[in-house]
Amino acid sequence: MIKSTINNNFLLNKEVKRRFASTSINQLKNKVSPIFTNRNPRNLERLRIGYKPDGYHVEYPDKQFWHKLLLKSSGKYVTASVCHYQNGEILTASTSEWAIKKQLYRTIDTSSYVNLGRVLAQRCLQVGLIEISCFIKPNSPNDKVSLFLKAVEEGGVSLTEPPQYKPSRPWDIDRPEKPWEVTE
Amino acid sequence: MAGTLWNTCRNINNNINTSLLISLRQGHHLRGKPPGVAKSLETKLAKANFKDPAIYYKVDIGLPPSQISKSKLKEERLKVLKEQRKSPILEKLARERKLSINLEEVYEEWLKSTGPKDIKRIIEHYGIFEHLYGDAYFYSRVPLKVFYENNEGSSPVYFGNVIKPSEATQKPIVSYECDKNTLWALTLVNPDGHLTEQTSEYIHWFVGNIPENDITKGETLVEYLQPFPPKGTGYQRLIFVLYKQEKQIDFSSFKRDGLCLNLSDRTFSTYDFYKNLQDHITPASLVFYQSDWDKSLKDFYHNILNMKEPIFEYDFAPPYIKKQKWFPIREPFNLYMDKYRDPKQINKEFLLRKLQNVHPFKGSPPPIPFPNAVYFEGYVPSWLKLEIRKSRLKWGRINEIENQ
Repeated sequence: MIKSTINNNFLLNKEVKRRFASTSINQLKNKVSPIFTNRNPRNLERLRIGYKPDGYHVEYPDKQFWHKLLLKSSGKYVTASVCHYQNGEILTASTSEWAIKKQLYRTIDTSSYVNLGRVLAQRCLQVGLIEISCFIKPNSPNDKVSLFLKAVEEGGVSLTEPPQYKPSRPWDIDRPEKPWEVTE
Repeated sequence: MAGTLWNTCRNINNNINTSLLISLRQGHHLRGKPPGVAKSLETKLAKANFKDPAIYYKVDIGLPPSQISKSKLKEERLKVLKEQRKSPILEKLARERKLSINLEEVYEEWLKSTGPKDIKRIIEHYGIFEHLYGDAYFYSRVPLKVFYENNEGSSPVYFGNVIKPSEATQKPIVSYECDKNTLWALTLVNPDGHLTEQTSEYIHWFVGNIPENDITKGETLVEYLQPFPPKGTGYQRLIFVLYKQEKQIDFSSFKRDGLCLNLSDRTFSTYDFYKNLQDHITPASLVFYQSDWDKSLKDFYHNILNMKEPIFEYDFAPPYIKKQKWFPIREPFNLYMDKYRDPKQINKEFLLRKLQNVHPFKGSPPPIPFPNAVYFEGYVPSWLKLEIRKSRLKWGRINEIENQ
């Protein structure tokens, strides 16, 4: 069982990646090739069919994500970033940045955490990230970290990622719905 | 009693052979090197994917950074910060957690300060430099603002946000800041949407020799065409690149007449375009959005492109099936054999069995309310019982014909 899933994933990553087979072609004026390739490296992740690492369920830090949210605080500044499982840190927002620091009173207090959350959510939406995994567990429901997470969610970014869609094999018990066939 | 028995047994075993006891421990031997010493998958992959930086290096082809004295900038910033620390209003707002910074202002300031570095990282994350320029990259030194005006409002273009084709039917409004007496060129390319060649791009819009920032006064070489991602192919990147021209350039070889609805004429290669003109143009800025299929495209394909709408589906890897054995021991015979048969034949059998119960005029019989409570008449072998139960519950292979 394990062998078969690994095999599939490697195939997805290397050979069959981004290939789409056509079901209906007609040539009137513009020709259409039966195999279409979408080179966008983020496409399969967004369609939920791209490879997502599994990791081990007791492992820390968690490895099951496409993009995850990180929060670091030093003595003076707070830095929030979005990490991709292959490309590492792709997006950051920090209170040490002049653009944010310029409007803050202090760079480490509660209101700076909340405003950092708002800025990060804005940047996430600008780069087309609407869902990111979050493994940060705040200590209490009213502390700085939980207010930061709340601000990110209020900014329009969901803090959970959907599971990877895996095609059902003929002997599987049921056929789960394909995410791209669900109409909004 | 049990304790004494165990002790005697151990004594007997010790007397007979001590090495025998050790060999009886099962499942405790390590295969290969221990975890701390052996290489992990991560290190192995890093070694396999290692690229020598002396050979695979990237080249900056963009504009140089603006020359601002760092010490002066620091001084100015310190002044602002010191004033802020003195402000009692700001202090009260921060203390009461009511301080809410202006996001628009943050964005504008970010574009001027740390923006170019962050934007470059995002562009690399989307693989744009690799697909458009190969081993070259550049920083977006000129903040480029592009937005689409439509009935529902305006959709601005940032760095990968999603804009549906129905929102992008009309040509966008482009603005940027520039010096006097400068010339610019703007291209809109799509590296993911080519219908025939897998590594080519389509050019959706090309305006050259733009005097300062007035797009309307520029020379339109290729008319604007909206994005048209086919159904089932997902999200395509549509990339605006602004080039700074050193002089007036003759772009007549890129000129396409009319609306240019013959898509093969729109085939474009940014790599070749830049390679030929690299002495006269410098990429100054890049913004892009992603677009996926929506309902409005059916009409666009039929009436404007005058073709049938193409529909695609993702080609998943087939499931792994191990090699068939002559004597498969401990395998259920029916399920094992089914794995090596033609799936179409199996589906046909399911369909024939279903059609036996379907009346051509009255339709299919009503579903069984309690499928597991139906009595089996006479002797039915257990494997067949299971198969019938699975079909009644709509489990397994029957779904292949039921969901059609």
